[in-house]
Amino acid sequence: MASAQRAGRSRYRLALLVLTAVTLLSLDFRGFGPLDSAQSAVRDVLNPVTSLFDTVLSPVGDGWNAVFDYGDLEARNEELRRQIDEMRGDAIGAEAALAALERLQNAVEIDFKGDIATVAATVLRGEVGNFDADVVTLGKGSDSGFEVDMAVVTGAGFVGRLSRVDRSTSTVELISASSLVIGVRLVSTDEVGLGHGVAGQPRQFVINQGPSWPEGGNPELLPEIGSAVVTDTGSRYPAEIPIGIVTDVSTPDGLAMVVIVELSNDVGDLGFVSVMLDAASDEVPLRPVTPSTVVSLEIDPKLLDPDSGAGATP
Amino acid sequence: MTRLRLTLVFLIAISLQLTVFIDIRVLGVAPELLALVAVLAGYFAGPRSGPSIAFAAGLLWDVYLPTHLGVSALIFAVVAYSIGSVEAGLFHDSRLQLAVVAALSTALMVIAYALSNEILGERGLIDMDMLKIAAVSGLFNAVLSVPASPLMRWALGPGPTRPAAAVNRPLSRG
Repeated sequence: MASAQRAGRSRYRLALLVLTAVTLLSLDFRGFGPLDSAQSAVRDVLNPVTSLFDTVLSPVGDGWNAVFDYGDLEARNEELRRQIDEMRGDAIGAEAALAALERLQNAVEIDFKGDIATVAATVLRGEVGNFDADVVTLGKGSDSGFEVDMAVVTGAGFVGRLSRVDRSTSTVELISASSLVIGVRLVSTDEVGLGHGVAGQPRQFVINQGPSWPEGGNPELLPEIGSAVVTDTGSRYPAEIPIGIVTDVSTPDGLAMVVIVELSNDVGDLGFVSVMLDAASDEVPLRPVTPSTVVSLEIDPKLLDPDSGAGATP
Repeated sequence: MTRLRLTLVFLIAISLQLTVFIDIRVLGVAPELLALVAVLAGYFAGPRSGPSIAFAAGLLWDVYLPTHLGVSALIFAVVAYSIGSVEAGLFHDSRLQLAVVAALSTALMVIAYALSNEILGERGLIDMDMLKIAAVSGLFNAVLSVPASPLMRWALGPGPTRPAAAVNRPLSRG
């Protein structure tokens, strides 16, 4: 009898917990402000504790990396050596590589920061869980003027957007996240489209849609391989921030063009970044729809001349 | 006093997760320390208070995850209740058994987390990587359950607990 009562009480408690969780979920879905503030406050309160742990235990992590990442380092060195050998041995290959390098430099030397103030920040840590590979945490937050949705960049270009800002830390959603859609412009053709990252491919970016995105494989509208891709003026972020270099263009099934871009930043290996202190536009990254192709309407003048008798039935 | 000790355990778990286990990963997978706290809470505290402790651990983890608040809390509480509700006769005084429970429960929580978030609109969580994460984090937690269980027993302190856990405890309660 007593154990049945205990079981009943346990089930009742569990039901209350489930109800609480569902309530929190629904409030979170609606973007309930106080809930965000409460989470931010918890992270701010715990930040000194985690910082202390980080300071004390960082040699443990460093030691682990030294032991287990040594193989990776050797592999990387080996790959670099192989590339150098290839470039030395093949004059044509070297020339092509030089041209590619020049194009990359042209892309990254665009003065995208303009008059917008930037604040440098250290990347504190990468993914905290096992399912959030496209997120990093910065060591500065609202105290430094950061706001949600501000653009995060390096000298090489766009890194991501601030998705969460606490008092002394902030979280960046990286450009490699497939959920982060960015309005971009293809420099070689001036076409504007929407692009996003590819899951499991941290250096790849795909542009495959937009309000006037070319269809049908018109070769005049295909961007040059190696040409630059930058943020568009209609994007939520400041314009002309380099995204990367076009590496492949295709029109599968003869439909919308798919542009594959190699990102200019290696977002898996960030140490320092800059946050552009320019509040992001709330507008959707879309421009008014304008036709991207011009169809010439060559009409026989005889059809317009009523006296010509053209079109008249005999 | 129990609450204070549990708070300390939570702080240690979240701090280790956010610092040491950013670097220490096997096949790119970190252990799920807050899930381990939830499993141990269900195992040692039983169905009465285990789910509440697990819920708090999940809520703390949700604060740091980019997904929706409440998902981990819900899953942790349900799994802790299930562990706590298993017939006492099935549990024996064995570290191996605790490790197996930790491994299976963690894997279950990871899969439930991915499925729940997919249902809630997150994309790209269900693939072969999910199975790898479930398996590796389960094994990780199984190993970590050995040093973590005395800490959790200390945090729970003297008080009513599940019969099987009492057998498992060196500091048996009356």
